[in-house]
Amino acid sequence: MATITAQLTVNSDITDYGIAINKSMTLTKAGTNNGLERTTGVQRVYLKDTKHIDLAKGGLANTNLEDMTVTGNTAGKVYIKYLSDDTSKYVIIGLGNEADNVTATALNGDATFFEIGRLYGNEWMIIPWNGASNVGDITVQPSIATTADQAIVEYIVFFE
Amino acid sequence: MATTTAAITLTSADLLTDALSLSATNTLYKAGTTVGLDQTTGMARAFLTATTVVDIFPQLIEGSIAFENKSSWVYICNKSEDETEFFTVKICENVIGKLYAGDFLWMPWSMRESVNANNHHGDITVAPSVDTGMAIEFTCINEGTEYPTENLVTS
Repeated sequence: MATITAQLTVNSDITDYGIAINKSMTLTKAGTNNGLERTTGVQRVYLKDTKHIDLAKGGLANTNLEDMTVTGNTAGKVYIKYLSDDTSKYVIIGLGNEADNVTATALNGDATFFEIGRLYGNEWMIIPWNGASNVGDITVQPSIATTADQAIVEYIVFFE
Repeated sequence: MATTTAAITLTSADLLTDALSLSATNTLYKAGTTVGLDQTTGMARAFLTATTVVDIFPQLIEGSIAFENKSSWVYICNKSEDETEFFTVKICENVIGKLYAGDFLWMPWSMRESVNANNHHGDITVAPSVDTGMAIEFTCINEGTEYPTENLVTS
């Protein structure tokens, strides 16, 4: 059993009283105190166009990645970072299916695709991941990406 | 201009053959700029005693799409100490994942309008797994807030 720890620190002077979040969590399997013990490792993808693609596919149990069970009542976690020093550029992080390698247009709750948020240059996120088959893919689409100026995204998945 | 910084460190000494240590830090800016975010809902704490799905940021999404695609950041933490208890977190009816006891998330939020035309602009909702009482903390640091207008009685 592995021990994986995530430490989040947020500090702000946005109010006179400020905001200070200092929270640590140990990544455990669903409903237990046993630590997650599998990972994709840190992945780095280079996107050379603005197509909408899957970053991590849900429902992968017993398929492409051996024993990668992120679907259903599990406790997977996903960390994603957009590697760019340009804060005017972003990648759209979505939930659902990729849009057949074209620009994503669906923005609804019918399980096709929904935009979670945008990571601008140097921003990152960490979320739990349901990873349901077909509807739970983590998708990414850069605002700007060319062969000469590729968008670089790093991510890592921890799963049961 | 406010300055808000967020940092994450992911570590494990025994997950892999070699130690895992990953760190990232960034400053939260308004969309496409280097101007700091200047609004927040403040940190909220709720104790939920029903498994009903609840919208935790209703004040940010009513009425218009003025803040769609702006920069907003969300923190949610399950304060339960029972490892079997979880919150199911959704965005616009799509399940993101489950936060078990002590788990948190930190993510951007685009507030995208649903094509369901119900003004539920990417609602972020949570649902406790049990009705015996679960505590949750959450905050949003954001670029703009649209508060509901006064609900006048006209009769």
